[in-house]
Amino acid sequence: MFKELDPILHSQLRLATVSLLISVKEAEFTFIKEKTNATAGNLSVQLNKLKDAGYIEITKHFKDNYPQTLCRITSKGLDAFEKYVANLQSYINGTESS
Amino acid sequence: MAKENILSEKESLRIIQDMIQKAKAGAHYERGHGPILWGSVIGFAGLMSFLEQYFEWDIGFDWWLLTLIALIPQVFIVLNERKNKQVRTHEARAIDMVWTVFGLSIFALVFYYNLVPQTTMRLLAAQDIKIWEQQGVNGPLVPLQYFVPSVASLHLMIYAFPTLVTGIVIKCRSMLFGAFICYLLFILSMFTPSMWDMLLLGIAGVFNWLIPGIILRNQYLHSLKKKHV
Repeated sequence: MFKELDPILHSQLRLATVSLLISVKEAEFTFIKEKTNATAGNLSVQLNKLKDAGYIEITKHFKDNYPQTLCRITSKGLDAFEKYVANLQSYINGTESS
Repeated sequence: MAKENILSEKESLRIIQDMIQKAKAGAHYERGHGPILWGSVIGFAGLMSFLEQYFEWDIGFDWWLLTLIALIPQVFIVLNERKNKQVRTHEARAIDMVWTVFGLSIFALVFYYNLVPQTTMRLLAAQDIKIWEQQGVNGPLVPLQYFVPSVASLHLMIYAFPTLVTGIVIKCRSMLFGAFICYLLFILSMFTPSMWDMLLLGIAGVFNWLIPGIILRNQYLHSLKKKHV
């Protein structure tokens, strides 16, 4: 019996964002946008969904009079990601063995 | 990645792998400014101190004071890098901590070899002990001025440590090579007089920081070029 994959993470852009944030301490919005090739609007929406789920923290401040958005993964996000990867592995192992 | 598609399990795995790779590739730890600055300063101060002693010049200036002056541009480098960094990795944070501890250790070492001889003399004087040295075979006996022998060896040993750690973590061969040279110089310094130790310190600055700094700077500029093609 396969466990259901977390719907918050099982989305292309949200998964890409969390995978990026898992590898770093914190990243700027522009860095995530550049690495995921997403549009600013779409990325903004997906970041808010991740934030609402408690998976990431977003802090906004000003740098040289320009707004700067910093994102970092939370411990809840880290747990969810680890669970997602474990479930994903069981899916792939199950598919390969069947 | 702008559209929201239904993902297969294998696609999910691929995205995770790609993004982890991209995060590592996009997060340059070092742009080379700091190592170039310190490599130049230590290299120059070491060489000038050696030349001053070798040719018996009396310039009346301690070349190592340049390291204190170099703290000013270093502050600007750190502030500028913090301002321009889009991402901060766990590795970069750990490496920064190693360099901070290195800086503190160097300051502690300077205090150590400046204070310990005076403290030793005071403690011995309190016990009415005085040690004399004879200058020349038939020379006069004078009170021994205490000092910590071969402090350059201690410097060289400490210089190698953060470079080695950084080289291992960021997989930088030039830093690993620099640290290796530094350890060799450390061994050599145990057998050389202090005048030559100055030269060894200068060589250590060049191999440990200046050369790796130039290589890292070129790599960083090359990656910028590729990004903008």
